[in-house]
Amino acid sequence: MVTEDEIKHVSKLMRIDIDDHNEYVDKVKSMIGYFDILDSAGVESEEISMPEISISNLRKDEYIPFDDRLIEKLNHYKGTYVRAPKMSS
Amino acid sequence: MNLKISALEYIQEIKTGNISVEDFVAKTIEQIQNVDGKLHAFLSVNEEAIDQARGIDKKIKSGGKVGSCFGMPISIKDNICIKNSKTTCASKMLENFIAPYDATVIKKLKQQDAIFVGKVNMDEFAMGLSTEFSAFGPSKNPWDTDYVPGGSSGGSAVSVSAFECVASLGSDTGGSVRNPASFCSTVGYKPTYGLISRYGLISYANSIEQIGPLTRTVKDSAFMLNMISGIDPNDNTTVDNKNEDYLSGIESGIEGKRIGIIKEMIGDGIDPAVLSATKDAISKLESLGAVCEEISLDMVKYSVAAYYTITATEAGSNLARYDNLRYGYDFPLEGYEFNSYISKARRNFGPEVTRRMIIGGFVPSAGHAGKYFLKALKVKSKLIKEINEAFKKFDFLVSPTVPILPFKIGEKIDDPISLFLVDINTVTANLTGKPAISIPFANSNGLPIGIQLMADSMNDKSLLQAAYALEQTVSLPEVPI
Repeated sequence: MVTEDEIKHVSKLMRIDIDDHNEYVDKVKSMIGYFDILDSAGVESEEISMPEISISNLRKDEYIPFDDRLIEKLNHYKGTYVRAPKMSS
Repeated sequence: MNLKISALEYIQEIKTGNISVEDFVAKTIEQIQNVDGKLHAFLSVNEEAIDQARGIDKKIKSGGKVGSCFGMPISIKDNICIKNSKTTCASKMLENFIAPYDATVIKKLKQQDAIFVGKVNMDEFAMGLSTEFSAFGPSKNPWDTDYVPGGSSGGSAVSVSAFECVASLGSDTGGSVRNPASFCSTVGYKPTYGLISRYGLISYANSIEQIGPLTRTVKDSAFMLNMISGIDPNDNTTVDNKNEDYLSGIESGIEGKRIGIIKEMIGDGIDPAVLSATKDAISKLESLGAVCEEISLDMVKYSVAAYYTITATEAGSNLARYDNLRYGYDFPLEGYEFNSYISKARRNFGPEVTRRMIIGGFVPSAGHAGKYFLKALKVKSKLIKEINEAFKKFDFLVSPTVPILPFKIGEKIDDPISLFLVDINTVTANLTGKPAISIPFANSNGLPIGIQLMADSMNDKSLLQAAYALEQTVSLPEVPI
């Protein structure tokens, strides 16, 4: 069973600042509770198959000029640097 | 000016000179102005559409080379990038994001002289199936504005159904094209995974999502597929369809085809009207010469849990990029430490996206991955095996697109599990990568019902042939707008 503390911990890890945890906790718990149905699927011995993509199917690694100055679309930049908040308080 | 024509009829009318592109596009914009206040399909309207239409008329008159869309007005779901126009994903987080490039599908349609009349509403980041989770308010079903239009491509379906465009592009992660198509009585097509490039589609769950058309007719979907499918060097999951022509031979019929009726998709919880329509569809398929037989896919009952586990995990990763430094949403930098700034900015996600990101952090985490995420991947693998076995015996699989009728706005918004189960018939095609289509089939007390057909991977052409055959048996009322 999922606990409220676990959900609070995960939301912090996901960098989601929530004021009212109760607003989210009940719904998230019921959603994750529904996933318990997977326990009865009987798939323990099943191999996980992942699609393989051939490396021959990759596009050429070549320089394609892009005319727009993308950095100018940001709100906080100086020269060619992105302005970000301080890394520590 | 008749706006109720199909894409192919529109092209014919333009070619014969009966109508001009400018007149048709102007009338379409007028229709948007007249009805969209009530329906809220559009998040933004292209103010240059009429000028662009005039340009195409000039090309036609001067005998220049004109693309096969001939200025056809198309709406685009607001998670597909059009260069220099807003792409919001119906989220406050991207409210001011201007796309710096065209998605591959947009580039292809521009080359064919399509006109994008506007960007249409959706559930925020495509997470939802009713369009109620749009940060800019819900779209409404043109058949009854008290009801949801389905989602997440709800704006796409509403705009086609209410004659605010001739066709639309949506995206389908767990039924997001087919569900609103069913609820609004349009055709909705989810192609084989990899048939259409996802380059320029804002990612939600890359491993299963696809762009797909919503149209008035099956032939129109085939026409759209002809233009937007094919291999793309910018998306290495695309497959080479060798320029398949999906329109040619579409009238071939289904004589002798074998069709499996998926037992798990017509069981508990199905609305009696939907069940009755499904039985009627099966009878009609049989009368067209198909042989129908029940089949069981055991993993279908676990598919919704597997789908939400996998998509939440991928969403948790994909949405990590929205840190307020690179895209759209903005507030001053001063006075914040790096992590608290990002956490504060991410409060601008709506409640459903927030819930799914929390789940996306939880289910693959070290202590829980074995119970949830890995098990979901195993269910997906077993479902693929089951459906591949089924396609050894059958050419197509049939079910209702959605097991219930459209529901009232607000009716299910606080009940996530009941919303989950609306997806039960559509997620299988996404988890297995198979093509699937929703065909408008019936109407119960003024609310539409769609029938879903599914085929094996890369059998998109024969699937469209079967869908066309079924479509020809149907006569439906006009949308009451």
